[in-house]
Amino acid sequence: MSISSEKPLWQLFIEGDKNAFSSLFKTYYSQLYNYGIKISSDQFVTEDCLQSFFLYLHKNRKNLGEVNNVKSYLFISFRRVVLKSLKKERQFSSYEETIESNQSFGFSPEELKIEQEISNTKTTTLVILLNSLSARQREVVYLKYYSELSIKDTAEVMDISYQSVLNTLQKAFSKLRSEILDHEISAVLQKTSKK
Amino acid sequence: MSKKDLSLLEILIDDASFINWAKNQNQNDVAFWNHWIEKHPDQLETIFNAKAIILGIQFDKTTISDNKIERELDLVLAQIEPEKNISQSENPITKTAKYIVMATALILIVTFGYNFLPFNSTITHKTVFGEIIDLKLPDGTSVVLNGNSQISYNKKTPRIINLSGEAYFKVKSIPSTKAKFWVNTNDLKVEVFGTQFHVNTRNDKTGVLLDEGSIELLLSNGTTKKMVPGELVSYSKNDKEITHNKVTQELSYSLWREGTYIFNNTSVYEVMQNIEHAYGMKTEFIDEELKNQKLTGGIPNQNLKICLSAIEKSTGTRIVLKDKKLLMFKN
Repeated sequence: MSISSEKPLWQLFIEGDKNAFSSLFKTYYSQLYNYGIKISSDQFVTEDCLQSFFLYLHKNRKNLGEVNNVKSYLFISFRRVVLKSLKKERQFSSYEETIESNQSFGFSPEELKIEQEISNTKTTTLVILLNSLSARQREVVYLKYYSELSIKDTAEVMDISYQSVLNTLQKAFSKLRSEILDHEISAVLQKTSKK
Repeated sequence: MSKKDLSLLEILIDDASFINWAKNQNQNDVAFWNHWIEKHPDQLETIFNAKAIILGIQFDKTTISDNKIERELDLVLAQIEPEKNISQSENPITKTAKYIVMATALILIVTFGYNFLPFNSTITHKTVFGEIIDLKLPDGTSVVLNGNSQISYNKKTPRIINLSGEAYFKVKSIPSTKAKFWVNTNDLKVEVFGTQFHVNTRNDKTGVLLDEGSIELLLSNGTTKKMVPGELVSYSKNDKEITHNKVTQELSYSLWREGTYIFNNTSVYEVMQNIEHAYGMKTEFIDEELKNQKLTGGIPNQNLKICLSAIEKSTGTRIVLKDKKLLMFKN
C-alpha cells in the first residue's frame, strides 16, 4: 500500500471509522506479527501485544498526533510495546540486554530465498553468518530488507540516527562479505585437497 | 543535510546510475562505474559495501493466514464495542433521539428475543475429534483446546469459563484490578490470578496440572486446595478421591498443545485412552498383555493415521481400525 493511499485511510480511522480500523489491522497484522516474533521469540507475547496495541490505538486515536508515514509509525510504537512487555515480564533493564538475552532477530534458512544477489553462498551458510552479527545489526538488516523500510524509517523505528543505521549496515556487510569470502576460499581449498 | 556533508557511501546508495552498476542492469552505467573504480582503487571497500547495501538480503516472507487475522480482529472489535456504546450515551442527544434509540431497542427485543442481543449471550468454542484450536479470550487469555472438547462463557463474564474435555490455559493477569479467572468443571472450580495450567475432565474426573504461577482449587465437596507449579491434582466428585502427583518432566503432560503427545514410561492402555478421547474411538486389546507395555516418546496427535502408525512402530504392534474400533494386536 502506498503512502499516499494510506493517509486518507488513517484520517478515517482517527475519525472513528470501523472499516478503516479493520483495514489497517488487516494490512499490518502480518508485518507487525513477524516483527514481534523476531523481537520476543514468543507467539503468545506477540499476540498479546498486538491485541493491546490495536486496542490502544483505537482508544487513543484522537491523541496520536501527526502521523506522516503510517507504516513506520506503527513499527515504532509496536516495537515499544513489545520491548516494554518483555522488560516487564523478564525483568531486563535495557534494550541491549533484552534483545541479546532473548536472541532476538535470529534467522532461519527457510526465511532466506535460495537465490541471493549478494553471493552464491548456500542459504544455510548465509544464515549462520547473519546470526553471528550483533542483535542491533540483525535488527537493522531485518527492518531494511525483511520489512522493506527505508534507511530513514529504519532509523526512526530504532530511535537512532540515519548515520548510525548506515554505519551499522556498512559494518554488517563488511563482516558478511569477508566471512563469505573466507567461506568460499575454504570451500575451494577443500575441493582441491580432495583431488 | 548539504551535499558536501554526504559521505561517498550515502551518495552511491542513492545514485540511479550506481544502482544500475550494482544490479548489472545498464551497460553504459556498468562501463562508467568499472572505469571509475579502476581510477579509485582506494574506494574499493566503500564501493563493495554500497553494492551490498543495495543488493541486500532476499527474504522469503511468511504471512499470517486471513482466517487467523480475521479471528484476531474480531477479538479486538469485541473489546472495542462496549467502549463505543458508552461514548454514544455520553454524546449530547436530544430527547426525541433518545426515544428513537429506545424504541428501536424495544423492537429488537420483541423481534429477535434475548439471544440476539450482545448481553446475556454465551460464547461457545467446540472442537471435533482430532482438532486442536488456539483461542484468545476477550481478556487476552490464551487457550489451547484439545480435540473433542468445549469451553463456554458468558459475554458479560469472560473470565468465568466452563470446560468439558481438555484445555491448556495461559491466563492474562490484570494486576490493576486483581481480577480473578475461573475455570469450572463438573468436579471442581479452578481459581486463578495469572498463570499457565492444564485442565482435563476426561475419565469422569478432573485433572489439573500447574505449569506456572499459583492457583486454588475449589472441590465440589466444598474443600479447597492450593497448588504449586509442577503439581498434578486429580479429583472426581463421584468417588470423592483426590490424588496428587509431582510431574517431574513438566512438559510431558501438556505438550499436546504443541501438536505432540509426550509419553514418559506410560502404559499403552493409558496412551490408547488419550487417543480414544481425542478421536472418539474405542480400543480393543486382542492381546491383553499389550495393555501394560510401557511407551516413551513423542507421538504426533493431529492426524489419526500418523498417530497410530507412530504407536505401532514404537510398541511393535499392529492397530486395525474397524467400525470406530481400534483393534490392537501383537505384530
